[in-house]
Order: sequence, then C-alpha cells, then structure tokens
Amino acid sequence: MSAVEVRLEPFGGVVLSAAQRERLALLADVVVAGGAGMPSASGAEVHTQWIDRVIAVRADLAEAVSRVLVLEGDPDEVLAGVRAGDPELFSGFAFAVAGAYLINPRVRRELGYPGPAPMKSPALPGEAEAYLEDGILDVVIARGPIYRPTPDAR
Amino acid sequence: MTQASTADVLIVGAGASGATAAKHLAEQGFSVVVLDQGHWTSPSDLPGNHPEYELLWGNHLWHPDPNMRSRPEDYPTNLDDSEQPVYMYNGAGGSTVFFAAVWSRPLPSDFRVRTFDGVADDWPISYEDLQPHFDATDRDMGVSGLAGNPAYPPGAPPPLPAHPIHLTGLRMAEGLNRLGWHWWPGYSAIPSRAHGHQTQCVRLGVCRTGCVVGAKGSADVTLLPDALRHGARIETGARVARITLDENGLASGAVYFQDGEEKFQPAKLVMLGANGIGTPRLLLMSDSARFPNGLANTSDMVGRRLMLHPFGSAVGLYEDDLEDWVGPAGTQIECMEFYESDPSRGFVRGSKWHVMGTGGPLEMATRWHIGEGVSEEPFWGAEFTARMKQSIGHSIDWIVHAEDLPEEHNRVTLDPTIADSDGLPGAKITYTTSENTHKILDFGLNRALEAHEAAGASKAWVTFRNFSSGHNLGTAKMGDDPETSVVDKWGRSHDVPNLYVIDGSVFPTSTATNPTSTICALAKRAATHIVETRREQEVSTA
Ligand SMILES: Cc1cc2nc3c(=O)[nH]c(=O)nc-3n(C[C@H](O)[C@H](O)[C@H](O)COP(=O)(O)OP(=O)(O)OC[C@H]3O[C@@H](n4cnc5c(N)ncnc54)[C@H](O)[C@@H]3O)c2cc1C
Repeated sequence: MSAVEVRLEPFGGVVLSAAQRERLALLADVVVAGGAGMPSASGAEVHTQWIDRVIAVRADLAEAVSRVLVLEGDPDEVLAGVRAGDPELFSGFAFAVAGAYLINPRVRRELGYPGPAPMKSPALPGEAEAYLEDGILDVVIARGPIYRPTPDAR
Repeated sequence: MTQASTADVLIVGAGASGATAAKHLAEQGFSVVVLDQGHWTSPSDLPGNHPEYELLWGNHLWHPDPNMRSRPEDYPTNLDDSEQPVYMYNGAGGSTVFFAAVWSRPLPSDFRVRTFDGVADDWPISYEDLQPHFDATDRDMGVSGLAGNPAYPPGAPPPLPAHPIHLTGLRMAEGLNRLGWHWWPGYSAIPSRAHGHQTQCVRLGVCRTGCVVGAKGSADVTLLPDALRHGARIETGARVARITLDENGLASGAVYFQDGEEKFQPAKLVMLGANGIGTPRLLLMSDSARFPNGLANTSDMVGRRLMLHPFGSAVGLYEDDLEDWVGPAGTQIECMEFYESDPSRGFVRGSKWHVMGTGGPLEMATRWHIGEGVSEEPFWGAEFTARMKQSIGHSIDWIVHAEDLPEEHNRVTLDPTIADSDGLPGAKITYTTSENTHKILDFGLNRALEAHEAAGASKAWVTFRNFSSGHNLGTAKMGDDPETSVVDKWGRSHDVPNLYVIDGSVFPTSTATNPTSTICALAKRAATHIVETRREQEVSTA
C-alpha cells in the first residue's frame, strides 16, 4: 500500500511570562468567577497551567489572549470595553479561558463528567432492549406507515 | 511525466463514494486505482484522544472548514458570496473521517418531488431502484438500527442491532408520544457490536472529530482495506489536476501532482467521487477544445444547483441527569413527523430531525453564548459555573435537517484569485439559503421547541437556524435529459460515455436526510452497473 502516514504536530504557540500569567489570572476571573461549588478560573489554575494547552493548539485563541493581555486597566472595565467594542475578540478570549477551565480534570469531575477525556462505556448486553421494554414504541407502530409510497413503484 | 500501467477503472477521491466503488469493483476483479489528494489519518492523531478535543476540532489541522484547516492537501474555497462555509475532510476516507455517521435513507417521495409537490425535479430512479444497494452499503458501513420503522417501506433489517436510545432518547421519546409524533431509534453507521474491520462502539461520543477506536463507518476503516485486499492501488497525496480525453472523446485518465511531480494515470474508465465541491471543480478544471466550458458540461449544469443543506438546532435543559455526552454522538432517536409536504404550512417539503449527543462542555458554552434569547442573559462571570452545572449532562439537542431545494444560481465555479498548494484554482462558492429552506427550518425548530416542552424541559432555545452541514450536493445533476443534466440515471456522463460521477454531486434534490447512505448506494449501483455492462461499455484504448 502506498499510504503516507503523516504525523501532525500541533501549533507551537506563545509562552506566557510570569507577569502575563498574573494579569491573566485577574482577567480570567472576570470570565469565570466561580461559584455553585466550583472554583474561579484562577482557582482552577487556568493561568498557570491549562491556558498553555489552549495556546498550544489554537493560534486564533492564543492571539485573542495576547491582544487582551496588553490592555491596561481594571479587569472588569477592560473586558466590558472589549465586549462592547469588539465582541469577536471578547468571544475569543472568553473561549480561551473557558476552554482552559473545562479541560481541568477537577472541573470536569465537578461538572459530572466521568473522566478527564471522553471515556469508554460500551453498551451492556440488553441495554438497548431495556429502553424499549415498556412498549414505548407501540403507539408509533400502531399509527402505521407515514410515508408516501412511490406512485409508479413496480 | 511518470506514467503507470492502464487501470480498468480510475477513481478520483477515496471518500464515501470513491471507496464504495473501489471496494465493489476490485472485488469483481477490476484493476482499480484510487487517487486522493489527502493522506491516511492515524487514529492516534485524532482530537478525541485528547482532553482538549473540542479545541482541536477548531484548529488549523482539524477544523471542518478547509479554509480554517489549510493543510497542504486542502483546496481553498472563496466564500465571499456564500452564506455558508463549506465543510469537508480531504484524505483517505474523505469527509467520513469527520462525519457523525447518522445513517439516514431518503423516503420514496424524495425521488418524486415534482410528481408529488410540483417543485424541482423527479429523480430518474426510484427508492426501489436503490433499495438493494442501500442494503449492501448498510453492511459495508456497519449500520446499527431497529427494523420496522413506519416512516419507511418494509425492507431488510439493519445488519446490526440498534444502539441504546439512552436517557436522552427515552426522555424525548416520552415527549413525542405525548404529542403523538413519530420517532424511532436512530440509525448509525457505527456498529453496536464488532463488524468486519470495525470494533464495537465504546460510546466516547466524539464521532465528529474522528473515531479513535476504529468503530465508526469511516470509509478508510470500512471500505478501503477491502479494496486494497482485492488489489486496488490507493495513491495518497495525489491531487488530480485534470481528466484527459482521447481522440474519440473518451476519458483516458488523469494528470495529477504527487510530491511536486506531475504524473499521469491512464485508465479505461474514470469515476469521480471528489465530493459535491471537488467534482465540479475538477470537471471545470478539465476544460478542452472539445469541452470549452468544462468536461461533460455541454448542459452548463456542472457546478450549478449547489445544495449545502443547512440545518438548525434547538437545545433543551432538563432537571434530570441525562448523561448527554454518551455516544454514538450522531443520533439517539429520529423524528420523521414533519418530513412530507403539507401545503397548509406555507412551504413545500419538510425536515428530518435527530437527537444528537451534545458534544462537550465547550460546545455547551457556545450554545449559551450564541443561543437565541439566552445570549442576552448573563452567562460569563458569576453565572458561568452555575449555568454550566445546570446544563452539562442535562441537555437534549434536536438537529433539524431541512430539504434544500436546488436553485441554479447557487453554484461552484473556479476562483481565479485563490489556488491550492499545487497552483490549481480554488472553488468559488455562491450560495444563499432559499426562502423555502428558511421556512422549513423555522417551522421545524418551532416544533422542536414544542417537543422539548412536551418532554419536560425547564428551558429550551434555538442555537442555530441556518448552519453548514458538510452535505455538499447537486452540482452534477442526474437526469434523463442531456440538455438539463450532467449524468444519466447510472451516474454516467451524457457527454463522455466512460466517465461516471458517483458522489453527492448527482443528487437532483437534496432530500431532508443526511446524504451519505444515498451517496454510497448510488456509488454501489454505478459500480454494479459497470460490472453488469462491462462487455458493452465503451472504454478508452489510448
Ligand atoms: C463535520 C461533518 C459531519 C457530517 N456528518 C454526516 C452524518 O452524520 N451523516 C451523513 O450522512 N453525512 C454526514 N456528513 C457528510 C458526509 O461526510 C459526506 O456526505 C460524504 O463523506 C461525501 O462522500 P464523497 O465521496 O462525496 O466525498 P468525501 O467523502 O468528501 O470524499 C472526497 C475525497 O475526494 C478527494 N478529492 C477531491 N478533489 C480531489 C482532487 N482534485 N484530486 C484528488 N483527490 C480529490 C478529497 O481529498 C476527499 O478525500 C458530514 C460531513 C461533515 C464535514
């Protein structure tokens, strides 16, 4: 077989400085403040750890993070201004923060996901039938065919 | 120029259609060569293996829009005059690497749209003509489902038992029963137990970013290995620049680029399975003195009637934990209640709906961020975690697929301003969603919201009203009349008797169903026809 196996490396992105991370912590907490028993963005190590994985795979979100990080001022006001003036940039930044937050295994666990990444859970024998056991489909079948047959079918 | 030995059949494209034809022709002893511009995809590279799979699916390697992905094997599309982006994947398996494997047959009425509803065109074939080929390709692609659906004519049962409808499907089914509306367990080209080359589905729910365990009916998993086993040669990284003609006006092979080298593959017969965008592009690139408007285009229909088949989505939130992430992602249950035309609704044709796994937490955040009505509600900041807790695991998503009737101004042409990595012109897409399609979508979404209410949703909203589906159809119409269609009822060009088109380009109308079942059945039918008529078939001897 003449198959060419290509190994695809993710985008090698920006590395944030300590000062940028500190600033990111403040801005990210405006996007994910925490509550309902869950940590804020900085409490979930978005700025120290998880943002790096976002930046590594998404050039567009990395750019949004960089563009917001250079804006000076009160974090709430800065992001309110971005949201009003450049909604696309706000979306990019918010999704970078949310993306980082939502890959933290602790966050995923608290949200009820079974694992840090998609988990294998093959169906149990009889599981498909069990859902239909109580005759839930009977009414659908009883109503009979609902399609229009081919008029000239041979 | 490097030249290989002459193939009985040359197929352009190793996606759903090309791989189907390759398998069935190679099995019958034809020497088959498949050329695809992309490469094999290693399962270990796929996003679903990584916690950041949702982020990966939007990046420069895995985005479903080739413009966003922009790998060297992708060709660019100019979308300046298109309401929709165009989604596809280029490589062994084609777009089935990304498809959700929702496996949906059209209905008999889809083939008689003009007869029944007075619009567009009847197909030159019927549901019954395709039925044996549906059955065969269901086996090819490891289709799981439940027999006896009253929305369809009777027929062979799906080869594999249905997947569990899961808590989401059950909850919605109860709602639909309250309304007296049709539903049925979903059909997926994903095996509920091991089947051929496919492993049993382990319900990761990441089908749309590529199946990492080799369960999904991705053509590189299901069909190409069989084609190879029967002697087919599959050339990857092989971008076809043009189909050549001999002095008798028969297709004689293809000129292609591989590793920067121009090569020629001669063939007795040529089949195009390059997707509803790639096929018209290639025909238009293959112009000649004999066909100055593009190969096989005396009708001027090549590239026209593009149907991008947009869909809508309506999500509902429920108090109970429904474990909405469990796969197969494509379809837990489907609803065909609003499929057929009802003139009292103010539009013709209808929609097919399916309950789809909700993707992942970031997709849920998107639903809040852009959803109709909810996008104005507070979400970011103090609300974010509460909203996510309220919705993760607790949602049901209805996907509403509308029939998208053909219009000649919606089309694919060659773009003079952008080129692929081999210098070949990109595809210019001109597409506006028609008023009728909008009406079908709006009606379907309103009914879907009612279904959420009947199922007990605490909140429900529309996320998308007009979203690109990756169903690229209609650009080399099938028909009996050479004046108004590109290929005949077998997919054979009216102009070039040994040139076949086997992908979604040939659809006279889009149907409201997910198209790949029909695409594979058409490709299988064309292959069977070639086998059966091999003695009469004119072939190039150049
Ligand atoms: C995100 C997504 C989700 C989808 N979900 C579903 C679903 O759930 N159910 C469903 O029924 N359908 C679905 N689809 C659609 C489905 O993937 C397509 O209908 C199907 O793959 C089309 O088959 P095809 O053979 O026409 O084209 P493809 O499968 O796209 O294959 C075409 C191949 O041709 C190659 N090619 C094109 N031009 C050239 C050239 N010049 N030279 C060499 N090679 C070339 C390409 O590289 C590609 O590999 C989805 C699509 C997408 C993108």
